[in-house]
Amino acid sequence: MKFLEGDGAKLKIALNVIILSAALWGVSRRDVSYTETTAFENAMIDSFAPMQKSVSYIQEQLSDFVEHYLANVNASKENVDLHKKVKELESELFSFEEVALENIRLKDLLEFGKGVKRRKVLAQVVAWNANSDFRVLRIDKGIKDGIKVQSTVVTSDGLVGYIYRITDSFADILTIVDSNNRVDGLIERTRSHGILEGDSNSKTQMKYVTTTDPVILGDLVLTSGLGNIYPKGIRIGVVTRIEKESHGIEQEIEVTPAVDFSRLEEVVVLVSDEGSDHKMEWEALDDPEHSRKN
Amino acid sequence: MKLQLKNILISQFITILILIVLEIVSTGILPILGLQKYSIPFNILVVLFLGFKLETPYLSVLILVVQFFHSFFSIEGWEMGTIAGIVICFIISFLRDLIHFHSSLATMMVTQIFQFIWFVIVSFLLYLKLDTLDYIIDKFWRFLPESIFITLMAPFFFSLFDKVWGVGEKGLLGDES
Repeated sequence: MKFLEGDGAKLKIALNVIILSAALWGVSRRDVSYTETTAFENAMIDSFAPMQKSVSYIQEQLSDFVEHYLANVNASKENVDLHKKVKELESELFSFEEVALENIRLKDLLEFGKGVKRRKVLAQVVAWNANSDFRVLRIDKGIKDGIKVQSTVVTSDGLVGYIYRITDSFADILTIVDSNNRVDGLIERTRSHGILEGDSNSKTQMKYVTTTDPVILGDLVLTSGLGNIYPKGIRIGVVTRIEKESHGIEQEIEVTPAVDFSRLEEVVVLVSDEGSDHKMEWEALDDPEHSRKN
Repeated sequence: MKLQLKNILISQFITILILIVLEIVSTGILPILGLQKYSIPFNILVVLFLGFKLETPYLSVLILVVQFFHSFFSIEGWEMGTIAGIVICFIISFLRDLIHFHSSLATMMVTQIFQFIWFVIVSFLLYLKLDTLDYIIDKFWRFLPESIFITLMAPFFFSLFDKVWGVGEKGLLGDES
């Protein structure tokens, strides 16, 4: 066998066996709910994330430059000064409009969830995950800003997800459209409970809702507050598809998130000041202490 | 030609720097262009290059390092890619005489075929973990455009990595012949 031949074959086999074993052990141990980072990983992520942020910034500036200047290089000479002045004013106006829009967005974000007794940290989205299997966002706030693992992340439109991985200055959010995320949801009109799972396709599926529940298209879905992650009453989305099978006991419900993930720029992280020993919703529901409390 | 550990370290360092730049661009720019659904798996391209062109006992370690750095940009972790990479290198070691990169078309074809093998291995591991095919079918539809993009880029990046690793026309880096 060629693989086992040649100089250093024993070393090659040993390294392959060790690394494969470690990787298989890692796959079996990998927790989809949250992950702890080492000091080295922290340092690496904190180094790379600003670069990701810079790339976004440069791209935005280039677009701005192309839109505002390059398109006008062929303008007549007589009007250059005038055009320049107009463009400057337009650019200024555009900046003001952008600031005004940003102010409205930020105000909405801070106004959102006044009733939620959690500290709010405003954060900016700097990058998406490098693998399309996951729907993960990276934000520019971390432990230094008081964020904790498993803190809820929202916008004024509704629920975004929770903090999955965190470093000193940056954090990764596992969004509700990621297939590893589970949210205990409640249909506002019928009060029917179900579990929402992401389908990696900018939609979520609501499971375990019985066919007898009179769910209709357009029904609003909220967080139920069961478990330890998400506070009660945060908007998740609306029902956009219902499939009932004649022989089944559950109906298949597709929920379109209230948040438009393709236009996400800023988010609010809701940080609970209680202990950080959070359990996931399904773990908390299994916990007898939690059951007694409820 | 024997491959010295010192040469490996320098070339691997440059390869990792290139990977980091590509990952930063991929994660920073594509979402702004409205392509959140897709991401370009440059780590697969790097691992395939290492598997195709290098003959060294430390290959699995090099793959591990590539996947470890990739994990800073993705929550998938280093494990699955490392398993897929090592298994693919194992397969390549049997097919090495049949594979050549004399033309861009050949490079693209080989890259596409081994990306598909990568997809099969990772899907198998995901199936063992999730026990559902729905996710894998969904993944397949994303895999198609992503893998085609990587395939189209392969000739350029392979020639770039050839220079980084000093791979000549004569054959594999580290080959004893």
